[in-house]
Amino acid sequence: MSKALFIAFKDLKVLVSNKGNVFWVFGFPVLMALLFGAIYSSAGSGPSGIKIAVVDEDKSRFSALYMLKLESYEALEIIHLSQDEAIEQVRKGKVAAAVILKEGFGDGFEALFNSDESRLEIAADPSRKMESGYLQGLLAKAQFETLGNQSVDKKWMRDQIKLLRNDVQTDDKLNSAQAKLYLDFFDSFDTLVKDANDVTFGGGFKGDLLKFSKIDVNKENEGPITPFQTTFSQAMLWGMLTCTVTFAISIVKERSNGTFDRLRICPLGHAHILGGKGLACFITAILVICVLYVIAKTIFKMPIGNLFLFILAVFCMVLCFVGLMMFISTWGRTEQSVGAAGWATIVIMALLGGVTFPTAFLPSWLRPFSQVNPVRWSIFALEGTIWRNFTPLEMLSPCLMLLAIGFTSFLLGVVMLRRQTQ
Amino acid sequence: MIKVDNLKKRFGNIVALDDVSFEVNKGETFGLLGPNGAGKTTAINILCGLTRPDQGTVSLDGKADPTVPEVRLSLGVVPQTLALYEELSAQENLRFFGRIYELRGRKLKERISNCLEIAGLSQRSKERVSKYSGGMKRRLNMVCSLLHEPPLLLLDEPTVGVDPQSRNLIFETIEAMKKQGRTIIYTTHYMEEAQRLCDRVAILDHGRILDMDSVENLIIKHGGPSHIEAEFEEKLSDPDKLKSFIEDKNAQFEEAKIRFKTSQPMESLAMLNRSGMRFRTLKVQTANLEDVFLNLTGRRLRDQ
Repeated sequence: MSKALFIAFKDLKVLVSNKGNVFWVFGFPVLMALLFGAIYSSAGSGPSGIKIAVVDEDKSRFSALYMLKLESYEALEIIHLSQDEAIEQVRKGKVAAAVILKEGFGDGFEALFNSDESRLEIAADPSRKMESGYLQGLLAKAQFETLGNQSVDKKWMRDQIKLLRNDVQTDDKLNSAQAKLYLDFFDSFDTLVKDANDVTFGGGFKGDLLKFSKIDVNKENEGPITPFQTTFSQAMLWGMLTCTVTFAISIVKERSNGTFDRLRICPLGHAHILGGKGLACFITAILVICVLYVIAKTIFKMPIGNLFLFILAVFCMVLCFVGLMMFISTWGRTEQSVGAAGWATIVIMALLGGVTFPTAFLPSWLRPFSQVNPVRWSIFALEGTIWRNFTPLEMLSPCLMLLAIGFTSFLLGVVMLRRQTQ
Repeated sequence: MIKVDNLKKRFGNIVALDDVSFEVNKGETFGLLGPNGAGKTTAINILCGLTRPDQGTVSLDGKADPTVPEVRLSLGVVPQTLALYEELSAQENLRFFGRIYELRGRKLKERISNCLEIAGLSQRSKERVSKYSGGMKRRLNMVCSLLHEPPLLLLDEPTVGVDPQSRNLIFETIEAMKKQGRTIIYTTHYMEEAQRLCDRVAILDHGRILDMDSVENLIIKHGGPSHIEAEFEEKLSDPDKLKSFIEDKNAQFEEAKIRFKTSQPMESLAMLNRSGMRFRTLKVQTANLEDVFLNLTGRRLRDQ
């Protein structure tokens, strides 16, 4: 054991002798936590300032009200252009989408329920699909809200009913029984609008037609709930990932420098050498997490749920990535190839693990891979202890998965390394 | 002390060692001389347990299988490639390897100090290795293997790419180790080194030992004749008289000069001296291991 310790301390000394390594292993995760924490804390209601161009070809009172409603949303930044200019701006990537209000857009229910002809068109940047999806939701919300506000006007409402009656009466596709059904409904509705007093009528339609309320699933903590609870768990993970790549590279560097063979010539078993390397990675990762933990606790007053479970999660996560480090180190013969392969793998794991975007956006055939993705399980385990308030039993599955992935990777790494060095 | 029996090793289609056997006695310096790719490093790697042979056995000091870590405790290996932690200082490198070889406390300090002195690095022991010259790194590379005072030393081309000063220092260190009675295996493709340092030499080519003996015997057996060129103070008045001393039928006689080949240079010179002629200049070129290799393989050591 003491020989493995000597190897570990030597590796740590080599690590800190390189300022670049120190930054990437210790500084980068802290910066990342702060950066993403700042982003999340200012974006509680969704992305801010999606820039769109609006083209008003309808020029009606309704379209004017609709545009006013869109302008009132913080999440949107509106510019008014002609259709050609708007599409050109989308093509150049200067706006996320062009929204075109076609003639007839302000024709009330007729415009809303007419399924034959679209009166609202969107030309979206194909590379910004997520923003486009979010935008469609906002456009629909604005349309309902504008319509809701308009419906308070009894005269406008009765005119709309009159128009709908005319449509039914002139529609050849309806037989007399069906037409009568609609006409009776419109008559009753018109009587309701005519007879209801303003307060009763207004209360029914005025205001937001779609109202959402949020249920906070965060644990009730003693301290304040901060976005850093989420970002620090991700930062801890990035710290781990950086450690993994740094130490994987250090193993291949030892091999290319000849020091790995020199160690093998010494009275050391494979277990000593690999154990020492793993121990150095383990110690560094724990140090990174301790640094992040201290910053999170002291500066950001970040509450941690169950400390014991948190330590357990960290322990399992670190063991998992130590195993992974062993495996990654065998993926190439040079520092460059292992570094590139390591970072590529980590980026893919982060993508599939839900760190960079929600897994809901993954194609269905890719989703099963996230089941064996250590990034996903690490985030799950850390968040479980920080704010999801997992019980020890609930922590079992992420912890066991992490240990299983780590152990399997370590074995694969040892087998590959033995093969390559014999 | 070291016994190697019928070693065979292939790397794909390449035969690195083909039925190699030799024994090295205690206190002996044994050379493996051969060109690049002859199989010297493979032999060293098998001896220190880095590579497993396809066939054959190795015994170090009576203990078989150098892949067992404890067996390697009595072994000091100087690898051909520099194997140092460049981010650490010489002292830190030595301390690390000393601890791995189970040295502790005062003993470790003494050995580090001694090794730094041998390597001529005492004054710069706290500098990072990355700042050292090639020769300094080579010297440190060597003493890292001497820290634990191993009775068996395997040196794999330790002077490759070093300056003459460092080379001499390395030679002096090896000669000091010889005097201390260490058993040494030394691989090289420089015949001068083998001639200077080794008691016995095995000529290795394409993974096979072509012959193995003391340097003197190898030269006698395979070196061919020595070349003598003598210039006299006066013209040769009676070349026929000299011809009777010289066995070389192709000897060349000029006005006051003679050139010939002989397998017994000392006897030939003594006879020339007895002829009563006074020498102005005398040049004797005896056979060496280069000639031995040339005669055994038809190629020069550094042809490849």
